[in-house]
Amino acid sequence: MILAVTVGVLTAGGVYLLLQRSMVRAVFGLTLISHAANFALLASGVPAWRGEPLADRTDIAVAADPLPQAFVLTAIVITLAVTIFMLAMAVLGHDDDQYRTPETGEAHQQ
Amino acid sequence: MNPALLLLIIAVPLFASAMTVIIRARVFERALLLAVPVFVFVFGIVLLVYHQQVPVIAHSVGGYEDGLAIPFVSDTFTALMLTVTSLAAFVCCLFLITTGEDQYRFVPSLVLMMLSGVYGAFLTGDLFNLFVFIEVMVLPSYALIAVTGTWRRLGVGRMFVIVNLLISTILVIGVGFVYGAAGTVNIAGIAAIGHVSPQLSLAVGFVLVAFLGKAGAAPMHGWLIRSYPNTSAGMMALFSALHTKVGLYAVYRVYTAVFGQPAPWAWVLVALVVLTILLSVISAFGEHRARNVLAFTMSNGVGHILIGVALMTAAALSAGMYYLIHHIITMAGLLLVLGAIEQTYGTGAFKKLSGLARREKPATVLMVLGLFSIIGLPPTSGLWGKVGLILASASADRPGSGIIITAIVIGSVIGLMALQRMWSNTFWGKDMTIYHPDSKQTGRAPATELTDDVRIPNRLLMPGAIMIAVSVFLFFGAQLVIPFTQRAAEGLLNITPYLEAVLGHV
Repeated sequence: MILAVTVGVLTAGGVYLLLQRSMVRAVFGLTLISHAANFALLASGVPAWRGEPLADRTDIAVAADPLPQAFVLTAIVITLAVTIFMLAMAVLGHDDDQYRTPETGEAHQQ
Repeated sequence: MNPALLLLIIAVPLFASAMTVIIRARVFERALLLAVPVFVFVFGIVLLVYHQQVPVIAHSVGGYEDGLAIPFVSDTFTALMLTVTSLAAFVCCLFLITTGEDQYRFVPSLVLMMLSGVYGAFLTGDLFNLFVFIEVMVLPSYALIAVTGTWRRLGVGRMFVIVNLLISTILVIGVGFVYGAAGTVNIAGIAAIGHVSPQLSLAVGFVLVAFLGKAGAAPMHGWLIRSYPNTSAGMMALFSALHTKVGLYAVYRVYTAVFGQPAPWAWVLVALVVLTILLSVISAFGEHRARNVLAFTMSNGVGHILIGVALMTAAALSAGMYYLIHHIITMAGLLLVLGAIEQTYGTGAFKKLSGLARREKPATVLMVLGLFSIIGLPPTSGLWGKVGLILASASADRPGSGIIITAIVIGSVIGLMALQRMWSNTFWGKDMTIYHPDSKQTGRAPATELTDDVRIPNRLLMPGAIMIAVSVFLFFGAQLVIPFTQRAAEGLLNITPYLEAVLGHV
């Protein structure tokens, strides 16, 4: 239940931020949504099982499902990479609240 | 053939990509950029022939037990996609080399990495692995969209990244739900369950929404229309041949494997097909640049290809796959011809181009053939594409097939008018007197008087000409391709050999 509420709150906040004009807010919004996705993935592996997923240490009945954790790990890596790229774009591109064309070194007309 | 060799299709581009980062010699980069698609093209042809005897081959990576390991699977559909996308990628790379765009920073490495993601997405038999390969495919494109094209690319680049990451997040949530509902993310494993529970249906629905978004089906096509035309023509041709087609391939693969027959909500797909076909051609009237119009015809093609899954008969799937092949080839051809025009005249805008038909005879012929192909007129592959879809819809005993035929016909007529508007604005009209050539220093030089010796060089037209020639060849040689699409469609509907190959049992 707490997991479901957390996913809901994160998604709501993420959607709100994503609808803002500024790139940095959109990036934060996407970060929140991807966190919600990570929790949703974890939830798919029965959160009540908390034991280490190691066959020789933990009883199979209480061992956590390692597959969703591997999913989350992969998703985190991908999202982190894209987030950094988007933050770089936020710096390179134009200021969203004003009309100013990005400086690309090319000559162009407004 | 040893199924483990399938891994080479992914490993070779990835390794080549790494090599081009380390060894930065122009000849080496160009050789790899052309050799890798040729390698996969040949591999794809070999697989196509081999699948006539053995319909499906699968390799469980790492030698883990079948069903637990990540499987890499090849059947006729996969081999067909590998062959066609490699051909398109080869020709697009040829164009990038001719225009010199491959010399922008890291372009060869990024293109090769993108190719390895595309091939991986075609080969993998695991939903989560499919997500990973789709990410491997789109991550380099974020960078590619930022290094080529007009200055507008930086603005749309942001939108492209945000939309794609959002769709990927929906995809990963969907994959999580599928795991929760089915207990596996192995496509064959999900198919082997036999019945689709409501939870699984909803979870797969999530995944399909994400794939449809990646494919650019209406109403999620806006990102594609806005972003693709602002990168360079060669890059747009490459993206159009690879990106949306991976989304469509995934829809075909996952939808048919999981449901096995039309889902209870198949009318949603019919509605999406009609919406995509009509919305895109009508929207094309509002554009003032040639490539923006073509972006809408791209979205129009997505609607046609989805007819295969919307009706889900053997004939419809086969016709949809033929249209998919035709669309990859024709769009690449048209975009590359337009790219040659833009490269020479410095613009694709309607108000700056006119009277090209009198100046550029070869480009005019290619353009006419390409536009005929997109509309579906002879002597091009487009005729059989649309005829096949209409015949398949007519013979399919499914609700909505009549609506689909109506949409195809009306969409073709409106599309003809929209493209005719583009044609009369660029190829007809008064002779041009001034033009804005590309300048190496500033990007865009001031208006210059257009002299008679300004002509599109043949080497720039050649890549587009190859693709248009293939399209014309497919008009006369459709008999060569259709048996393969039919076999691929049967492979999607009769999934038992697929399950046997992947799981080792049924």
